[in-house]
This record gives sequence, C-alpha cells and structure tokens, in this order.
Amino acid sequence: MTTRTFIKESKEMMRDGRIRIAFIIVILLLGAAVWISMRQYQNVNARYEAAKAAEREVWDNQGKKNPHSAAHYGTYAFKPKYPLSLVDQGVDKYTGTSIFLEAHNRNEAQFSAAADQTGLARFGDLTPDFVLLFMIPLLIILLGYNSFTKEREMGTLTLLKSQGISYWKWIWGKWTALFLPILLITSVLFLVASIVLSNLQDFGVFKWESLFALFAIYIVYYIIISNLVLLISAKAKKSGISLVISLCVWIIACLAAPKVASNFAEDRYPFPTRQEFAASVLKDKKAGLDGHNPWSKESKLLEKKVLEEYGVDSLHQLPFNFDGYRMQKGEEHEAEIYLKHYNHLKDQYIQQSKVYRNLAFLSPYLPTRFLSMAVAQTDYATHWDFADAAEDYRIATQKFLNNNFAQNSEYGNWSYQADAAFYKQLPNFEYDPPELNVILNRNSSNLMVMGVWLLGSFGLLFFIPKNL
Amino acid sequence: MITTNNLTKMYGDFTALNNFTLTIGQGAIYCLLGANGAGKTTTINLLLNFISPTSGTASINGLDVVKNPIKTKAFLTYIPENLMLYSSLTAVENLDYFSGIAGKKLTVSSLKGFLEEAGLQTDAFDKRIGAFSKGMRQKVGIAIALAKDTKVLLLDEPTSGLDPKASNEFGLLLQKLKEKGVATLMATHDLFRAKEVATHIGIMKDGTLRQQFVANDISLSKLEKEYLNTMDYKELVL
Amino acid sequence: MFSYNFKYELKLLFRSRWIQLLSLILLLLFGFSTFNGKQKVEKRKSVIAMAHDEVRENDTKMLKLLDSLQRGMEVSASPWTLPTRPMAVGNYYPRVAAMEPQPMAFVSTGQADLFTHFVKPTATANDFAMNFTEMTSPVQLLFGSFDLAFVIVYLLPLLIIAFSYNVLSAEKESGTLRLLAAQPISIPNWVLQKLGLRFFWMAVLVIVALTIVLLIMGIDILAEGKLYLVLLAMVLGYMLFWFVLAFLVNLWIGSSAKNAVAMLGLWVLFVLMVPSVLNQLGNTIYPMPSRTLMINEMRELKAEVTKKQDEILDNYLRDHPEYAINDTTQKRSFWHRYMASQHLIKRELEPVVNTYEEQLKKQQRLVGRLKWVSPALTMQESLNKLAGTSTSDYESFRAQVVTFAETWREHFMPFLYNNQEFSSQDYSNLPKFQLTQQSFSPAVAFWPLLLISLGLLSLGLLLSKKGHQKFNLISS
Repeated sequence: MTTRTFIKESKEMMRDGRIRIAFIIVILLLGAAVWISMRQYQNVNARYEAAKAAEREVWDNQGKKNPHSAAHYGTYAFKPKYPLSLVDQGVDKYTGTSIFLEAHNRNEAQFSAAADQTGLARFGDLTPDFVLLFMIPLLIILLGYNSFTKEREMGTLTLLKSQGISYWKWIWGKWTALFLPILLITSVLFLVASIVLSNLQDFGVFKWESLFALFAIYIVYYIIISNLVLLISAKAKKSGISLVISLCVWIIACLAAPKVASNFAEDRYPFPTRQEFAASVLKDKKAGLDGHNPWSKESKLLEKKVLEEYGVDSLHQLPFNFDGYRMQKGEEHEAEIYLKHYNHLKDQYIQQSKVYRNLAFLSPYLPTRFLSMAVAQTDYATHWDFADAAEDYRIATQKFLNNNFAQNSEYGNWSYQADAAFYKQLPNFEYDPPELNVILNRNSSNLMVMGVWLLGSFGLLFFIPKNL
Repeated sequence: MITTNNLTKMYGDFTALNNFTLTIGQGAIYCLLGANGAGKTTTINLLLNFISPTSGTASINGLDVVKNPIKTKAFLTYIPENLMLYSSLTAVENLDYFSGIAGKKLTVSSLKGFLEEAGLQTDAFDKRIGAFSKGMRQKVGIAIALAKDTKVLLLDEPTSGLDPKASNEFGLLLQKLKEKGVATLMATHDLFRAKEVATHIGIMKDGTLRQQFVANDISLSKLEKEYLNTMDYKELVL
Repeated sequence: MFSYNFKYELKLLFRSRWIQLLSLILLLLFGFSTFNGKQKVEKRKSVIAMAHDEVRENDTKMLKLLDSLQRGMEVSASPWTLPTRPMAVGNYYPRVAAMEPQPMAFVSTGQADLFTHFVKPTATANDFAMNFTEMTSPVQLLFGSFDLAFVIVYLLPLLIIAFSYNVLSAEKESGTLRLLAAQPISIPNWVLQKLGLRFFWMAVLVIVALTIVLLIMGIDILAEGKLYLVLLAMVLGYMLFWFVLAFLVNLWIGSSAKNAVAMLGLWVLFVLMVPSVLNQLGNTIYPMPSRTLMINEMRELKAEVTKKQDEILDNYLRDHPEYAINDTTQKRSFWHRYMASQHLIKRELEPVVNTYEEQLKKQQRLVGRLKWVSPALTMQESLNKLAGTSTSDYESFRAQVVTFAETWREHFMPFLYNNQEFSSQDYSNLPKFQLTQQSFSPAVAFWPLLLISLGLLSLGLLLSKKGHQKFNLISS
C-alpha cells in the first residue's frame, strides 16, 4: 500500500509540468548561489590573508620607539570567513570585519559589507541559505498542497475509502512521495558543497561533522514543513484553499515572524546608540584611573599604595618605571570598564535571543535560522566570540608593551625607546571559532524548540484520518 | 431561429460533429437524442461560440455566431446541464444581475413577475440560491429567458437529475415559451420527455444526424425502437 | 454591464466577508507597522535632542571656564583640557552634526537601522575612520523591521493576489462562467471590470485604513498633506501594477491553483529574486575594494608619516604661510606636528577613500537604471526616499559631515599655528552644522508605475482580442 501510493504520487508529480519547472528553477538557483558564495569566500579570504600579513609586517617593522607610542599606533585584528559560510552567510554581511586594537580603547568591529552596499542589499542575497530557508519550503508547498484535496476533488477518496485501505500506510506513502524529492535536492546541494569545501585551501578549519549537522538541521526543517503542508491539505476542503493557507503559513513563518520578533526584541531590550555607549564609557573612565594623568586623585592613591608596598618614599626609588606601571594599571581599569559595558550589551543581546526563541512557536523558521547560522559560524555569537578574543589579545598586548616600558626605563624617562626587535616578540593574534559541540550546547534551547516542532507536527498528522 | 449549415467540428482526426445542417423556426422545440459523445453538446457549444467550427456556419436569428459573438447572445438563453448561479445572491438578485448585464434594466416587481411566471414559489424569491435544488435553479434560468425576452433557448440535458414532478413542470414551462415563439434546441437522453415536449426529434450518432421525426408522427415505443436501432443495439435474449 | 457589476460585486464581496476581512487585516498591518515606525522616529528624535542638550550644557561650562580664566582665576582642570587652548575646544567641545528625521520617516526604516543619525566630529577626528554605522544587533539588521514599507512592498501584493487570483477561474470552477459566457458580453471586458472594481474597493479600503491609522497614531497628515498624497499615489500605482498582473494571469492561465502558483511565482520573482540578482550584479560590475586592504594602506602611510613629522610640519607651513604670520614666538608643540601630519595623511588617502563612495555611487546608478525591472524595488527605493532613509540620504549626510569636520578643523588652524588663545568672544564664531536635505521629486515613482501598468494592460487587452480566447469553457 505504502509503496504503491508512493509510486503513484511520484508519477503524478513527475508528469506535472509546473513541478518540473519549479524543480529546475530551484536547482538553477542553488547552483548560482553556491557559485557566488564560493567566489565570495575565496575573494574575502585571499584579502584577509594579505591584510593580516601586511598588518603584521607594519607592526614588526615599526622600528625603535617608545612602547606606549606603539600601543597608540596599535594593530588590527581581522575576521576571516569560515568555510561553512558557503552554505549559510548568516549575519556576516552586517558585522564588521576588522577591529582596531589600541591603547585605552576597545573599538567595535568596523566596515560591515552592508554599509558599503546600496539599499538593495537589504532585500537579501542570492545565497544558498536563501534558497534553503525560503525557496525549498515554497517548493514543498507546491508539491504537497493538493496531496489530499485532489483525492477529494476527483472523488477518488470515496473510492479509496470503500477499498478498506489502511490510512496509515496511505498517509505514509504520500509523506514519502512528498519528502523524497526534497531529500534528494538537499542531498545534492550538500554533496556539491562538500566537494567544493574539500577542495578549499584552508581545509583544516572545515569540519565534516558541522556539515552533517547543517544537513540534519535542514532535513528536520523540511520534515516539519512537509508535515504542516500535508496536514493543511487534509484539513482544507479545496486545493485552492489549501494552497492559500499553506502560503499564509509560509509568509507568517518566514517573512513576518522574524520581523515582528526583531521589532519586539528591539523594543524590549534596546541597544544603546553608538554615541550613548561611548558617553557612558567615557563617564566611567573619567571617574577612574587615567594612565596619562599623574595629577588625578586616583593616580595619587596608586602612588601612595605602591610606595607603601615597596617601603620607599620616592617614585624614583622603585625598581621599575612608575609611569609604565601606572599606564598598565590604567589600562586594566579601562579594560574593566569596557568589560562591564560590553557585558551589559551582551545581556541585551542574550535577552533579545530569548525573545526570538519565545516567538519560535510561531515559526519553525526562527530556530532553523539560528541553528544554521550558529553551526556555520556566521551568527552573532561567533562574532561576539571573535570580538572578545580580540579584546583579550588587546589587553595582553598592552600588558606586554607597558611591562617592557616599566621594566626597562626609570621613572620620568618618557624618551625611552624599545628595540625594533622587541616588537617582533609580540605573539600573533590567533582565533579559533568554537567547536561544534560547544555551539550545539549553546543552542540547546533552539534544538529543543526544533524538536518540539518536529514531534508536534508528526503528532498533528495523527489527526489526518479524522478529517478524511 | 436557429440555423446550422454543414457545421463540422474536428479535434485532430476525431470528428465531433459532421456536416450538421438544421433549421429550428419560431415556436419549434427540437430535441436532439443520442449517446454520450454523439455530438449534442458540441452542437450547443458551437451555437454559443464557446468553440469555433472547423467548417460550416451556425447562426442565431440570421446572424452568424462566429462573426457576431456578442450580438447573437442577446437573442439566446442557455441553460447548461447543471445551471449554476451565484450562491450568495438571492433569486431576484441573480435574475437582476444576469438580465442586467444582458442589457435589460428591470424593476424589482417585474423581476418577481418573471420568477413567478417561471413557476418559482414566492417565498424563495429573496432566499439565497445556495440552498436551491436543480429544479429551482432551472426556473430561475427560465426566468432569465423571460426577462431577456429571448428568441432562442439552448438546453443541455435539462431534465437529468430532476424528479418526475419537476421534470413535468419543466416541460410545461417549455410549452409556455414555445407559445411566445421561442425556438428551442434541447439535447437530452430522456426519450419520454422528448416525445412529450418536442415538435421535432433528431437522433445523432458519431457526430452525424442519423434520423429526424416530427414528434406527432411517432409514438414513444416506435421512437425507442428507432433509437436503439440507430445505436446498433442487439436486444438481449433472456 | 458596468452598473450591474458595480452593484453586485460589492454585494458579493460583502457577503463573502472579503471586505470585512480585508479591512481588519489592513488596519492591523498598518497599525502595527506604523506604530513600529513611529517608535523608531521618536527614539531617533530624542537621541538627537539629548545630544544637543549635552552640547549646550558643555558650552555653558566652557563659557564659565573661559570667563574665569580671562579674569585670571585659578581653575581645577587638567591644563590640556582648558578651553583657552584651541585644540581643546576643537576636541572636547564638538558640535552635533545631526540628521533629523523627515516628516515621513515612519514610513520606511530603510537604512536608518544601519547608520547613525548624529556624529560629533572633533578637530583631530580622522575623516576616514569616522564611524557612521549604528550599534544595532546584526540579527535585527538581517531580519529587518516590520515597517509600513514592508507591509506595502511585500504584503500588499500578497493580499492582492489572494483577492484576485481566481476572479475568472472561480466562476469556471463553480459553473457560473457558462451562463456568463452565454450573455452578450465580452469576457475579457467583464474580467477587467471585475478586477477594476476590486482595485477600486481595495484602494478605498487602503486609503481609509491608512488614514485612520495615521490619525490614531497622532501623525499630522494635514500638515504633510502633499507628502501624504504622494504616498497614497505611489501605493495606488503599485497596487495597480499587481492588479494588472492579476488580470493577465486570470485571462491566460486556467485553474485557480495554477493562477495562484503563477501569481506567487511572479511575486517571488519581483520581490525576492530581482532585487538580490541586481544586488549581485552591482557588486560584480562595480566591486567594492577591500576595506582591509585600505586599512593596510592607511597604516603604512601613518607609520611613514610619524617618522618624518618635523619635515612634514615645515612643508605644511610653507604651503600655509597665513597660519603663522601673527605669531612671534614660533613655538611648536605636539599638536602642530600632529595636525600637519593628519593633513598629509588625509590628502594622500583621499583618492583611496573616494573609490568607495564612487563605487557606491556607480552601483546606485546601476540600480537606478535597472530598478524598473521590479516594481517592488522601485517602490522600496521611492518609499525610502520619501522617508529620507535611502542610501543616498545617508551618503549625502556623510559627505556633509566630512565637509563640516573639515570646516571645524580649519577653524582652529589659525589659532593653533598663531599660538593664539581661544576666548569667549570667539565662541559665537564657532561653525555650526546645517544639513541640506536632498530634494525628492515624488512624481518619479508614480508615473513610471502607472506607465508600466497601463502598458501591460493594453498589451493584455490587445493579445486577448487577437487570440480569440475561449477560456476552456468545455473542460471545466
């Protein structure tokens, strides 16, 4: 029964010109999207490598100078593109790609691609995630909207009923016929992606298990959509109605819900404006120790404390340059202020994420979108991770420079210059994105929401026989 | 008046209607008998210009239907096998709409007059069509014919699915229209009703008009025999 | 025929509850999106107002300090922050360069969530490193905002599709078409009237719903009467386009399901595909040079410049003798060398940085030429322009801020190089930022939309006359 239903449904689909055309269109779109993403990935990473090397060279060759001048001169941390961005570009377009690491200031990542593009960029890009998240669900609707209604309309339902068939085997046959072509198309895409990925130069960053995880996420997403489409088809009286309802569900889930969620999130947990943020950081900074200001109250306190600690009565008698020491203490204080303010920002972001998760009951699109970005390492959390790593590196760099200043000169000697070779000793900035299990742990609630959707939608299929 | 002259319709190699020539004058009711696929509905579709003839001509009131697709429809009323009207409009509203777009502006009282003349019970006038039976909908169809002051009536299996009482009522309505000088073409399987209402009867097979009778000249049993003969029917010997 | 269609179409729409449902949906969508838009505009206004307040406060403090200093009093502030030093004024007392929202800003978020609405350029600010992007969660940027423009560009066509995809096919499927086709009317004409009436009623609903929503939200549409009319005209033009498409699909395609699929395919094409393909095209034809490589160039230049600061200062003063004529001391400090170096860096980097703006302008021109391929794109662009949140609005703001930053910096140069102190008399001469809004010609969007729609319509009518459509009455 199941096999026969499956064969009959598949034949009907293959004979339908519309479905053939839709299939071809989706495959062409996928091909174009993968090709564009691949080129972009290669371009961006070639530039990334070049920029990283050039920046290090500039740093290494800055010559003899005061370490604090070098600290102000600073260096840059560049964000690479990760291989799985080939499948999902996530928020990459909207996050900056380079962070300026200098003394006293934590800077935001600068130069997002979206800021350098026309308003068109806001419509979305022709990327694999666009096809995977928007177009294939549409294809599922097109394939399945009349799965049950056509039997009703042609009157074959009554005939089938009189044959005393097993509903379950019949429904299972329909389900397989709808899902198999989708499984096929998704498998082909991931196969192509894996071939492209395994030919990449920096293959090491790429992990097979991440690709499999992505594949699994999308398959679950499509199972949920297929279940919903079949359920609607069984409930609706006519094909037209079934189609319209399915499309409404698609619009709400894929277009409206994310925007509504974004408005709610911003309304309830707003980010400060750049100026507000800078102003509140500045306010806190003014209240604390400024490494450049030996006359402030905090500087005097620090002086007293250090003098007492070493049991001497003049800064000149200290075994190190107090200017460098104060600079480092100031740096540590400022780093703390930034940590506090960025933690507040992160809190807002975490709260916003909760809003998205709470609205996921409206839309299976939302958990899929977040999981897919996370596994592809193109989500906001990865960006935070990168920014935090860059900040740690900045703090370590400042310490490295200030310590050299404090240890190798005496108090008041601002004309001290460190050797050119000294700068080459600074370790490189290395950043490794989180591993798959860390990502999945972090996104456990999204996984749970998807699980609920999966089981829930299968559960709803049980109601189909009652509607026939 | 309905006239066809060597009217032929081919679908590829298949001949749906073959050299069909017929004239139905004022006050005549012509019944076309024949099995499914004999070409009865094709004839009606050609007269309505729903399909174009391969060769030959058809005209309504002397006007060619292909050359005057809109003008000819002002003279005719068509009642398909399953007459469907707007289910969310009432009988009066449906009649008002269809006669209105046909160019007849009528008052509510005259609309009701036509419905009454067509035999619809008064309490149904302001009810929505959705709940109407086929017989009641056909009465509204006849009312449209009356309102349009129709010259030609095209009927496709009007009595199929009607109970004998409704079928009889419908026959009487046709007589009424006949007296007004309406030329009627009726495709049907119902030999009994054909004999009852028709002035002329034709039997079709494979797109060709095989036999024609004047209704008064032939008895029902003779008609049945001729019909079965035309269909090459061998009686079962029990 | 028309008067009967008019009378009964309204009855049918009422009885099938379309009018009621549509009114409700429109009120909800317009209400929610306008509420969102208005909230954003209010936040923007309050943030700018706060910035202005802060500047006023600081200025009062500065004037007090100046007053005390001029009267020879002792003040408790770090010496380098004293406002008698011109560079201190230039750096610690910057002006607000703000982009106030336009009256119709609530219509479209456009690029408003991506870019900041005010900056305070300081005298030492590096023009190229000035950050114009806003601190928004990228997830929000990815999902976008549920604004009025989204409702109009994305959702309104879907409502139109649902409202009109089966005007003819439903008659066929319910069986009424046979009776209709037997009447002395032309079916294309009948479909045209039906759709025309649906367009009319939907237009009425849209206008009424939008007006009600805006009045409830407290938006003064009378004061912005002209702009409001422009908005309505654009929406109607856009709706007309989709109704014309519905007309063509109704005439040429068969069953309701096929119509729906075809209309939806067109929607995906115009709303989702064409914009992303055009974006891709723009990026391919006029690629943005790498920002990371620009950073490299800037860094190398900076490293080189710091090594020869004295030389640069000499050259600079040779080019600008006017800066030092009144100074007898010829004292040279950090700022003298720094500003001269900055000047050099700026001049050297200008061509590199300009390529970004130029490429962006080229992309924009390309989009401007090709946007007619998709009315959705045309509509979004025009709504952004109407709201003053389009890419070019922000581009113009950026350019004006950079010019202002230059003016601001140059204002302090004579003080700096003449080693002249800043005094309270000089306060009123400080440059102020004045934004010149881009001129917006509203007719731009409406007439072409109307032309496209009418062109399609007449093409459809012409072909339906020639083709002798029979509408498959036989196989219903």
